[in-house]
Amino acid sequence: MKPFLAQLKFDGRRLILRNFSFQFFSILMPAGFYLLFTKVMVSGTVPVSFSLQYMASMIVYSGTINALFGIALILMHDREKGLLQWYQLTPLGVQPYYLSVGFWSMVMNGIAIVVLGMLAVVVNHVSLTLGQWLAVAGVALIGQIPTLLMGVAISFLNRPETLSIVSNLITFPMAIVSGLWWPMSMLPSWLQPIGKLMPTYFVNNWLGAVATHATLKTTNIIGVSAWIGVLLVLVILETRQLLKRGDGVVKA
Amino acid sequence: MQPIIQAEHVSFSYGEQAILKDINLTINPGEIIGLIGKNGAGKTTLLNLLLGVRAKKSGHLTLFDQVPGGPLAKRNIGSMLQGDLPIRGITVVELLTMAATHYPTALQPKQLMADLALTELAQRQLTTLSGGQLRRVTFALALIGNPKLLFLDEPTVGMDTNAQQAFWARVKALKELGKTVIITSHYLPEIEQVADRILLLQDGRFIFQGTLAELQQQYQQVEISFQTSLALTTFEALGGVTAVSQVNQVVQITSTDGDRTLQALVPYLSQLRQVTINRESLATIFVHLTKEA
Repeated sequence: MKPFLAQLKFDGRRLILRNFSFQFFSILMPAGFYLLFTKVMVSGTVPVSFSLQYMASMIVYSGTINALFGIALILMHDREKGLLQWYQLTPLGVQPYYLSVGFWSMVMNGIAIVVLGMLAVVVNHVSLTLGQWLAVAGVALIGQIPTLLMGVAISFLNRPETLSIVSNLITFPMAIVSGLWWPMSMLPSWLQPIGKLMPTYFVNNWLGAVATHATLKTTNIIGVSAWIGVLLVLVILETRQLLKRGDGVVKA
Repeated sequence: MQPIIQAEHVSFSYGEQAILKDINLTINPGEIIGLIGKNGAGKTTLLNLLLGVRAKKSGHLTLFDQVPGGPLAKRNIGSMLQGDLPIRGITVVELLTMAATHYPTALQPKQLMADLALTELAQRQLTTLSGGQLRRVTFALALIGNPKLLFLDEPTVGMDTNAQQAFWARVKALKELGKTVIITSHYLPEIEQVADRILLLQDGRFIFQGTLAELQQQYQQVEISFQTSLALTTFEALGGVTAVSQVNQVVQITSTDGDRTLQALVPYLSQLRQVTINRESLATIFVHLTKEA
């Protein structure tokens, strides 16, 4: 247990406390968007259902940014700089490292839920029961798994420059077409069916339904599960390919 | 004495391409081994097999009487590889403190930092360190588990002269403590300075295994130069001489058997002035050998 706690302390410092990118892009930016679109750029009072739905959207957006920019880059960086190799050669291996990164990525999402939830309560006076908040947190954490797997999948790319381009190409189009930034009805009609296939669309709808007491649609749960299945297979195949290619092994 | 590493007829290949061929090797506790070879000779693959990152295709290979990569082997190995872990958002002491928890008999990070003159860098973030400073931290990371066997790969790259000297002094001290050290480096004067035994790898085979003295005995050419009024033909027939030349007044003899040639020169000593003898360095022998192979 002691090694795992030490690993958590180590990763907590670098992934959260001293990680300005996370603090800015995954917390401050979604919080700023939330205030902008529910308080600043609106006239009159925003309906509570919109405040809740947009809170859900920004929680999903924060998780997406965190997974595709933050976690993907950290995994690539750790592999490129030899940290992963160092773990591989120690008696405990890579398990504590992966468990710790997985734990902190969930905590990162948890922080986003707390910050955006508090904003929704304080600024827009939304009110949810404890059970609903717990359900929001649970769905948000499960819903982060597809984007987290996407982050892991693209972390296997060879160069940080390529990773940056790919992250941008996935995150922002996916956020826009799946209705995280503004309602899907504002998108061209040909784009809407594509948006409805995105993992963030399924998670956003699922989370929104939990937050606004709407009826839960099984299609959202099936959609998230299908994405988890597909991405899990992709990550497994990539890992096998990586081991076969011999990347990450010692260079002399 | 139980060997730390034992390899018998070990080979490794990628598909049809043989990388290591019939490697036989015994490394005992307390030895400092210099593993040298040109790029592509098979050093990387051998290191990967020893660290348990890759598996041999045939033969028998053990570390601490175990298959490489096993728990006991990992507990007893420290490695200073080419990456320097410039991890963002982490200080030197935080890295070493975390690393210590990965080993059952780890050293105290603060004591280790004091021993390696890293105390003043303890609170510095890794990303703010120079290349040489990072290398020293990587050395500390290799030692933190109190290993019995240490792999050092191009260990002094980026270090200044003082740091290099301190580093090699520390490596010699480790030997006194009974640690075994395997050094891979292209900077051969360093290997020459510390290695008890040299393993020269060429095209996946060891073409030499032995001490530097044995290597010099076996392969070294000696250059003897002096001024004399004697004719060049006097020296051509001397034992071991392979070439005689004269530039201005200086005669230069190249010999493959320095001892024999010097004995043969004794009768002429009174007629020789300003005698100099140059023995070839490991680097020069390495170039000769790897050219021949």
